[in-house]
Amino acid sequence: MAASGSAAPPATGPARHSLTRHLLLWSLGALALVWGSFVFMGYRTGVHEADELTDGHLASVAALLTHLSGSEAVGNSAASRRSVAPWLKSHDYQQSISVVQWDAAGRVLVHSGSAPLPAFDAAEGFADLHLGPEAMAWRSFSQWDAPKTRKVMVLLESRERDELARDIAGQMIEPGLWLLPVVALALGLALRRGLRPLYALSADVAALDPASTQRLASRHAWSEFESVVASINTLLERQQEALVRERRLANEVAHELRTPLSSIALQAAALGGGLAPQAQAQAVARIGQDALRAGHVLNQLLALARASRAQLHETKAPVDLAATARAVCADYAQAAWQRGGEIDLVAPDALVLAGHAVLLDLALRNLVENALKHTPQGTRISVQIGQADTGAAWLQVCDDGARLQAAAGHTGVARPVDSLHLGHEIVLRVAQMHGAAFGAVAAPAPFTTCYRLDFPHPAAVAAG
Amino acid sequence: MRILVVEDDVGIAEGLRTNLQQRGYVVDVCDGVASAWSALRAEPFDAVLLDLGLADGEGSELLQRLRTSPSTAALAAGTPALPDPATPVLIVTARDQVSQRIAGLDQGADDYLAKPFDVDELDARLRALLRRAAGRASPTIRYGDIEVDPAARTVVQDGQPVEMSPREFSVLLVLLQARGRVLSRQQIEERLYSWQSAIESNAVEVHIHHLRRKLGSGCIQTMRGVGYFMPQEPV
Repeated sequence: MAASGSAAPPATGPARHSLTRHLLLWSLGALALVWGSFVFMGYRTGVHEADELTDGHLASVAALLTHLSGSEAVGNSAASRRSVAPWLKSHDYQQSISVVQWDAAGRVLVHSGSAPLPAFDAAEGFADLHLGPEAMAWRSFSQWDAPKTRKVMVLLESRERDELARDIAGQMIEPGLWLLPVVALALGLALRRGLRPLYALSADVAALDPASTQRLASRHAWSEFESVVASINTLLERQQEALVRERRLANEVAHELRTPLSSIALQAAALGGGLAPQAQAQAVARIGQDALRAGHVLNQLLALARASRAQLHETKAPVDLAATARAVCADYAQAAWQRGGEIDLVAPDALVLAGHAVLLDLALRNLVENALKHTPQGTRISVQIGQADTGAAWLQVCDDGARLQAAAGHTGVARPVDSLHLGHEIVLRVAQMHGAAFGAVAAPAPFTTCYRLDFPHPAAVAAG
Repeated sequence: MRILVVEDDVGIAEGLRTNLQQRGYVVDVCDGVASAWSALRAEPFDAVLLDLGLADGEGSELLQRLRTSPSTAALAAGTPALPDPATPVLIVTARDQVSQRIAGLDQGADDYLAKPFDVDELDARLRALLRRAAGRASPTIRYGDIEVDPAARTVVQDGQPVEMSPREFSVLLVLLQARGRVLSRQQIEERLYSWQSAIESNAVEVHIHHLRRKLGSGCIQTMRGVGYFMPQEPV
């Protein structure tokens, strides 16, 4: 079970961006954009509505005045000011309207309000005027009466209309101004809460120890995490398998190196203690043997290092497995004969596969050496090579050592429990590099032990 | 002191045998669990040097069998029986990881030594094991005016060194460690000779005679028809 909690992983390297912050900024950005659009539309609507409202107002007043009876002409400067009505409640929509009436000759009949007197013309309808020495903007509506004897113009300062538009837009914007921070806060909290499974997963991943057997907990049951959790667990399993393999290999290497070194140290110490001439010669001979043993292990280690580093795709070439096997068998024939045994080869004239010639030779040598080393005297060893029906090549090294041991009355495990699996580790790595499978298989009669390499189909090799 | 070496590597086994013999131990070698178990059931050993990876199994199996053997009950009933579950065991192995050391000690080993090792260190650890098994804290054994140093294999009486052969020293050590208890001639021989040694018919008597001559006739007592002993307190 992986550790839980929301503890942040230790900071390593340059500071990384926060996903929460990233999401929050994007969400708020999107929200602000939408809200901004609403505000803009609100302002436009406010202005439009204010225009319609004031224009309608101007038209209504003009229509009303055209139906009233005319009056005598007044001087251009005799504008009647708007009477102050202090009892009238002042509110946002209170507007000051100016009115000008002309007769058909253009003489001013009425001029009320604060608007400067506009120039007379015969045009009717709405117009934007700039009046007075400061050229202030006014909105106007002009209308003739039915007999065309009198023209009425109603004016409203554009500033008042704009204020109304802004007021309407402001009324629409205002809720957003206090709502937006609240929404941002709520959004932040929701994001944090919503991302909690991600934080938990992150904390669990950070707490994982690849060296232990722990896995990511099944509590990460979110469908979005399924593939991530499965992938991480698969990687962990591979990592742990690799660690176990490396640990086992280290143990085996340690054992294989320490044993001859211990023996050398003991023989040397015994020599220092004084020995009879015969015992002395034996001790010296044993030191030589153990030094060679240690050297052999070192060679194996170097081979393993080479096998680990070599890249098959760099060196893949056609290799005649049968020719390689013939050469290896020939090299070990003398050693087998000295043990009272024999090595034979069962192989076609040629069996070519794509691979690494040196590594395949190394693997085969290790299999034969293991068979020689871990079997009793007189053991028969057979190197067999063939092709499956699918065309995939295989290679196996079999021996009848267990049968000989049984015949000699030995029981129990024939091969050392804690001994040279280093050779098999090398074979395994070579097999992995070639995409082949390696392991013990049922030995064909009369053999008792058999280790086999099954190579992939040639098409798979070519593809891979 | 008789040591059983359980080791499947011939070079190490023979090296241990030679070195320990040079240091005055009696050494027998077994190369597997089965043969070692047979040896432990047949003969008393003062300590066992045990390798873990053996040809026919794990050394830890042998250790567990030794520690759980029922001989303690048999001894309580007065019946001499083997193997002795209290036999000190020193694991000598190439497995040096901490977890492996802990496992070995938890399984009942008295000490753990990783290969390769210094023979002097092995000897020191063996002496410490034997000392602990005998219930002593001091590296030397005092008996009246006699002081025996198992490490240096020296004997001093009244401040004067006493010359003695390795075999005489071994007999003295065996009797001192079993003081107050009568040991038969066979029991003494078992501790003095390995399977490969030829035992002379009156060898023990000769060694006892020499020891009495060198240390005084009263230090080793004879129980006629039974054997020899050194009294708990010196005469």
